[in-house]
Amino acid sequence: MTPEHTRVRSSGVPRQRTTAPMTAPAPVAAEQPVRDRYLDLLRSIALVRVILYHLFGWAWLTVLFPSMGVMFALAGSLMARSLGRPAWGVIRGRVRRLLPPLWAFSAVVLTLLFAGGWDPSKDPDDGGAWGLLKLVNYVVPIGAPPFPWSIGSDSGLLESSWAVQTAGPLWYLRAYLWFVLASPLLLWAFRRAPWPTLLAPLGLTAVVGTGLVTIPGETGNAVTDFAVYGGCWVLGLAHHEGLLAQVPRYVSVSCSTLLMAFGLWWASGHQGPEGWALNDIPLAQATWSFGFVVILLQYSPSWRELPGRLAKWDKLVTLSNNRAVTIYLWHNMLIMSTVWILDRLYELPFLRSEGATAALDSTYTIWMFFLVWPLTGLAILGVGWIEDLAARRGPRLWPNSQ
Amino acid sequence: MASRTRRRRAKAPGGPRRRRLPMRLLLPSLVLAALMAMLMLRGYVHSEILADHRVRPEAAADRVPDEILDGGPVIDTRGGRTESLSLPDRRLVLTFDDGPDPTWTPKVLDVLKKYDAHAVFFVTGTMASRHPDLVRRMVEDGHEIGLHTFNHPDLSHQTKKRIDWELSQSQLALSGAAGIRTSLFRPPYSSHAGAMDNNSWPVTQYIGARGYITVVTDTDTDSEDWRRPGAAEIVRRVTPKGDEGAIVLMHDSGGDRSQTVEALATFLPDMQAKGYAFANLTEALDAPSAHTPVTGVGLWKGKAWVFLVQASDNITAVLVVGLAVIGFLVIGRLVLMLLLSARHARRVRHRGFRWGPPVTEPVSVLVPAYNEAKCIENTVRSLLAGEHPIEIIVIDDGSSDGTARIVEAMGLPEVRVVRQLNAGKPAALNRGVANARHDLIVMMDGDTVFEPATVRELVQPFGDPRVGAVAGNAKVGNRDSLIGAWQHIEYVMGFNLDRRMYDVLRCMPTIPGAVGAFRRSALERVGGMSDDTLAEDTDITMAIHRDGWRVVYAEKARAWTEAPETVQQLWSQRYRWSYGTMQAIWKHRKALVDRGPSGRFGRVGLPLVSLFMVVAPLLAPLIDVFLVYGLVFGPTGRTIAAWFGVLAIQAVCAAYAFRLDRERMTHLVSLPLQQILYRQLMYVVLLQSWITALTGGRLRWQKLRRTGVVEAAPDGSVPSQRTGSGSDRRPVG
Repeated sequence: MTPEHTRVRSSGVPRQRTTAPMTAPAPVAAEQPVRDRYLDLLRSIALVRVILYHLFGWAWLTVLFPSMGVMFALAGSLMARSLGRPAWGVIRGRVRRLLPPLWAFSAVVLTLLFAGGWDPSKDPDDGGAWGLLKLVNYVVPIGAPPFPWSIGSDSGLLESSWAVQTAGPLWYLRAYLWFVLASPLLLWAFRRAPWPTLLAPLGLTAVVGTGLVTIPGETGNAVTDFAVYGGCWVLGLAHHEGLLAQVPRYVSVSCSTLLMAFGLWWASGHQGPEGWALNDIPLAQATWSFGFVVILLQYSPSWRELPGRLAKWDKLVTLSNNRAVTIYLWHNMLIMSTVWILDRLYELPFLRSEGATAALDSTYTIWMFFLVWPLTGLAILGVGWIEDLAARRGPRLWPNSQ
Repeated sequence: MASRTRRRRAKAPGGPRRRRLPMRLLLPSLVLAALMAMLMLRGYVHSEILADHRVRPEAAADRVPDEILDGGPVIDTRGGRTESLSLPDRRLVLTFDDGPDPTWTPKVLDVLKKYDAHAVFFVTGTMASRHPDLVRRMVEDGHEIGLHTFNHPDLSHQTKKRIDWELSQSQLALSGAAGIRTSLFRPPYSSHAGAMDNNSWPVTQYIGARGYITVVTDTDTDSEDWRRPGAAEIVRRVTPKGDEGAIVLMHDSGGDRSQTVEALATFLPDMQAKGYAFANLTEALDAPSAHTPVTGVGLWKGKAWVFLVQASDNITAVLVVGLAVIGFLVIGRLVLMLLLSARHARRVRHRGFRWGPPVTEPVSVLVPAYNEAKCIENTVRSLLAGEHPIEIIVIDDGSSDGTARIVEAMGLPEVRVVRQLNAGKPAALNRGVANARHDLIVMMDGDTVFEPATVRELVQPFGDPRVGAVAGNAKVGNRDSLIGAWQHIEYVMGFNLDRRMYDVLRCMPTIPGAVGAFRRSALERVGGMSDDTLAEDTDITMAIHRDGWRVVYAEKARAWTEAPETVQQLWSQRYRWSYGTMQAIWKHRKALVDRGPSGRFGRVGLPLVSLFMVVAPLLAPLIDVFLVYGLVFGPTGRTIAAWFGVLAIQAVCAAYAFRLDRERMTHLVSLPLQQILYRQLMYVVLLQSWITALTGGRLRWQKLRRTGVVEAAPDGSVPSQRTGSGSDRRPVG
């Protein structure tokens, strides 16, 4: 899809890592012998923030730390680093590492859906052959996969909206795939015209994310996501290319603060169903995330190891980075299974009194919070190793050391 | 002095520092949090916070029992009952809603007292909390109190939890104000029983379940006095038909109630003449009183609540005055600076302007240095490139990094090196003065770089024999970082606005240590540099003023310095400056009552400097407290507009200062962020100085100085951190 000849800088690096056994076991390690632990820490924080947000639903978390923007910026930076090699190989490597964990996830979700009696050809939104065709997105996330808005009943094991919740995070994979595919082009454009390329996604968001121009359906969602987070992705490229380092710090920080202030102001006047949750306000999300990421990358200290008090989080940061895709894919399903597990508690004899029920009711989310972490651990143990297989490494159960 | 203290730090390792670090943040932030809490409490009882002004439109009434719709105004739904009562003939119960109001309620009470009438006051919790004395007077006068919720929401919009809270909070206020609870209730926006609908009836039932009797008005005795129809019309509306008894609805709060008072003054005697009795509700119904006394914990909780509300009202009033003062100071200062600096610039830039005959005599340049190995060579070379005849004296204050050897190795005949054991900057400067051959003395720092014209421009004002000292124009070299850009803005404004203003007002408080010139005779008359304060430059400048000399600003004498790069370094530098300034002002306080030039400085300069540098920053946090309050609790739009207004004024001043100095405007992009991060840092530092001054008053200077530096001094082992070298490079005052 992307013209291979646009990448000409690489020479001497094997085009296909499979032909180079030295680099095959750990491609990432081969690209970057020393990981930047600052970026790793940011990715871990972003993941935890996503889980907390989906658990508690506090809108202010999206303002406190714009996780998705940060994750796309980190991915963009790594992508720019890899694109020193021929583009086609890099894209193939990225896609190959993304898909197997998705397949495992899709297999479980589809099994549950079909067991629940879902027939995609009879879906009210897009039934028939089109509905069946869209199932391909569970295998290659070029678009959003179809799912029933309601399946089973509320009295069942899970809420009837479980499919919506579970498939929700898949938009990130679609957007990621689009960005990976577009990266060679973006990098080419960036090197020719850095500033227009950097700011174009914000401009595009102002057009397609504000109702000025509405692209209907799933294409519209995809284009909007691409625009909203494109700025962050290109920022990642810019970070790797050293553009940010050329701008005096006072300029970049002051300007991004102004941009973020604009984002907040825009959000205040365009609140979505969840109020200040930036996810529902494209322009606010784009500007706030962009400014936030500029500041994070501007002060990027490039740690070889976590300093001071952060050092004790080292193993967790390593683990969450090695299993980022697994954690991200499965976290919503895990959150819903905490509900299923906690609902069993009401059946315990000593918790049947009215007082105990009320106490459980009022502390429900707290128990969900405590339960979701061991479940995440179980998910890592159960399916995390697929990430290693996808990256052509030896599978490891609990990769918490580098 | 910094050099000395740095050395001391090496002797006394960081123990006390770690202990003190939280205090300097804790105390100011506690004060701020307390102020914020008081502000919020006040906003809460003034219905600025948590107020809900929605009113539900009328709805169907098919679920309201007929006996209620057709029944009397006293509705009893306690314990599942559905009963209503009407008043006996010739009995009138006056009810007043929404009070107590400080203006109108006393007038209503006076009229009632005059005619010996009793009534029922349905008070809101907020008003009762704010005016407890009026509630007390109502009870003492024999009136009954009913609840009218805490802050007057339409209860049909509220949850049961909120209704419970409205009731209990109101009872709390009532018990604090008058030591009673009541069992009477009137829902906001209610009228007569026939107007009960499907929305309000469930609320009434719930209120009954909580043990309250709901009291509405009679069908045709609602005065609607809030529409201000005129006293005669009010009387007409509330007069019942025939001899019927009735509950009359009036308001003693919520606007001008003069018509209500006027109507009462005719209505009461007229009806009494007709044989009507004005009783409170339970008297009229021959029922036991609705009041129950509160004792014990409940009473004290109520009293504490009322006390807190009163305190918050008073504190807020003080804060608002403070905000007005600081607003006036900030804006007044900016305007004054604009006017006076424009005047100064016009004067010294006038084509024919001369201080006096051109000064061409040679000058001694003193460079006190402590561990300046990295920069001393640059400093000395920049001096050698100068256009004015000079001798250079480098005073090495016991450096451990070979500063003196570096200078000696340069092998320059114009440069002399004087060594001393580490004794501090004032001592080094005094030693330099003693070794200087010439009568004009320029002082600079070991890490400052002069332009070729700097020395010449700096000494030209000495052509005027009245000038005793000259301040140069220090500029920030490292201005690309955020903290550097902020300091750059601050320096440009400080040198081009503040200093010009002080020059015109003849009360320049500080010659910057980085670039200043003195007449030897002036220095000798005031006894040279002193180490009495942490800011020897401010101290000596004030002393020279008091001796009758003029101290002026030479805008073209530019010196390039490196500003602190970290918050920690900046903090310690500013702590020394602000504390040193306070010490210097205190040291020269007697100038206030002196005669002659010293008295002039004491009565004009000292108050001005104290106001702008010590008092104004103390009030500055109020801006942020009110900003946060306004942002969160509204009016958000107006708060932001006001903030931008002040920012715009600042930006205009800054732009003018940049233009005067011919600086590029790009750095002004960091001005908004400076206003929400840097300014706060500066006043927290000043607060800390205040705390030290107030708590450490009995400590000796020595000890104080050590405290300041232990906190302040950057790691002495890193010579590249040149920011600890004394109270130098002061942009302001």
